[in-house]
Amino acid sequence: MNRSVRTHLLDVTGFIVIAAITYFVVFKELMKVEGITFHIPSSFLQLNTIFWSILIEAVPFVLIGVLIAGFIQIFVSEDRIKKWIPKNRFAAVTMSCVIGACFPACECGIVLVVRRLVAKGVPIYAGVGFLLTGPLVNPIVIFSTYMAFGNDIKMAGLRMVVGFAAAMIIALVVSLFFKKNQLKVQPYQETIRESKQKASFFVRIWDMLKHSIDEFFDMGKYLILGSFFAAFVQTYVSAQSLLQAGEGWVSSTLVMMGLAYVLSLCSEADAFIGASFRHMFPTSSILAFLIYGPMIDLKNTFMLISVFNMKFVISLIVLITITVFTCVSFLTWL
Amino acid sequence: MTFHFQQAFRAVILAAFACFIMNLHLNGDIEKYVNPKYDLFSQTAASVFFLLFFIQLFRIWSRKNKHEHHCHHGCSHDHGHSRSPVKKVITYSILIFPLITGFLLPPQTLGAKVAAKKGTVLTSKRAEFQMQGETELDPSLYVHEGVVVDRKEIKQGEYEENMKRLDNDHVINMEDEVFEPYYGQINAEPEKYIGRTVKMKGFVYKEEGFQSNQLALTRFLITHCIADASSIGFLTEFDEAYTVEQDTWLEIEGIIKVTQYDGFKMPILKVTSWKIISEPDEPYVYPVYIKIK
Repeated sequence: MNRSVRTHLLDVTGFIVIAAITYFVVFKELMKVEGITFHIPSSFLQLNTIFWSILIEAVPFVLIGVLIAGFIQIFVSEDRIKKWIPKNRFAAVTMSCVIGACFPACECGIVLVVRRLVAKGVPIYAGVGFLLTGPLVNPIVIFSTYMAFGNDIKMAGLRMVVGFAAAMIIALVVSLFFKKNQLKVQPYQETIRESKQKASFFVRIWDMLKHSIDEFFDMGKYLILGSFFAAFVQTYVSAQSLLQAGEGWVSSTLVMMGLAYVLSLCSEADAFIGASFRHMFPTSSILAFLIYGPMIDLKNTFMLISVFNMKFVISLIVLITITVFTCVSFLTWL
Repeated sequence: MTFHFQQAFRAVILAAFACFIMNLHLNGDIEKYVNPKYDLFSQTAASVFFLLFFIQLFRIWSRKNKHEHHCHHGCSHDHGHSRSPVKKVITYSILIFPLITGFLLPPQTLGAKVAAKKGTVLTSKRAEFQMQGETELDPSLYVHEGVVVDRKEIKQGEYEENMKRLDNDHVINMEDEVFEPYYGQINAEPEKYIGRTVKMKGFVYKEEGFQSNQLALTRFLITHCIADASSIGFLTEFDEAYTVEQDTWLEIEGIIKVTQYDGFKMPILKVTSWKIISEPDEPYVYPVYIKIK
């Protein structure tokens, strides 16, 4: 009873929202005449414009990502991926990082794939390699980074190479310290999949598109929050104060890594936001932003905690932070 | 048949995103958000939204209980029937927030306030200097070479001709198409251009430390979208400068001199004539892309 009342409440709320949107769209002109824009501070208009401009440039890449992720969910079985993983530890880590690099996924989706893989017996270190390179090194991210930095291949290249190296190091360290699968809930027998094989091609395409929609709604809100936050920072925080907070590359790198963590941006879109800080911070700090963000961030942490042991998650975060910072520093020092 | 409200709502959201982007393209406001060079991307996005909307339509009605969609592939998406109502309301509020602000509020051209936040003409020089220890100033900041398809793209020969005009013409006319390379050149070697006349348009930017006869005449350079805008322009001097307000658009002619500002050499324009103009249709300038071959 209570539940159905709540559901109805939700419906009513939704309905009001739709009505409101319609109202605003239809009466937009009317409201302009009455001077509603007059009451809104111009800094908010500015904020809104920047916010939408980030969204507009990010959305095409997010949609491509969503479509490919949907494709993989439906067409590529984890079984097949698992079969390729070799027994040797180093080979397994390399392999998983390479697969991750070919596997275009968002950090939000990949946690679940990794859970599935680990539950099926893929060693935890291989899972971590996959988890880290999946969202960071892949064709879409390369392409969007290339675009975001004004068709400059240098940043995209550095992001891939340094990111890949960092992921390898982290996965190898994990292989030294963690033996068990580290899952919070031990794997249970999965009872699915057979019916899937019989589905026709058309049905599978249809499923894939449905998945894409769900994925969009899943991560759309993170994209919107991230863009809004970035627009907010741009509108209200002056570059001077940010520069002061991040003077010298050590603190500016830490500032950018912190930002990457809090913003929780999708790796397909974060290049654009990273690029917007280009005239404030040195390249090495932006590189840290671009590598750290896809590996670990706030929303990802929550997902990891829901899948893995707390101890493992914390160790992983510390390990990622130290490794990324060291790798980027090493590059500056070169 | 069951009607799934949430699925219907999702369809509406997808359609709204598609319409918003298409609408921007139709009324030309898209230029207020992104570099026109990237129009194709947002058009593609709008088409994909329409496609997803179409797919989503079929999920609104379903036969009884069929919506207990089994998650064969181990995804943990919210398929529209899992979370608590409060969480859903928050999620959808976030999703429709940009739609409401997008449809309701007009886009605003960036102005002096943003220039101040970003650190403009004069301050950015200081920032660049601070960083020079770690990063070399990227030469591609001024000249982007690459094979790209867009209307701002010019051929190598044409570019060289433009740059020759910068060296030879009596009056340097800072048209939108050449604003960025000309600015880069003049700023890089101001001494070379002393005594030449510059004709340019821009908005007025003033900051603390300017004298009453000084203002910066500025344009925003958009690499991709206005989030990456950086302001470029010249410090100008004329007696009536204090009468002109922030954000006013001016067209001026002035003679290049070199001055010291905070210990940095920089060009300054001694204005010989000026007039107030209305904001141009294309307020932003874009980097020039040279087509190789």
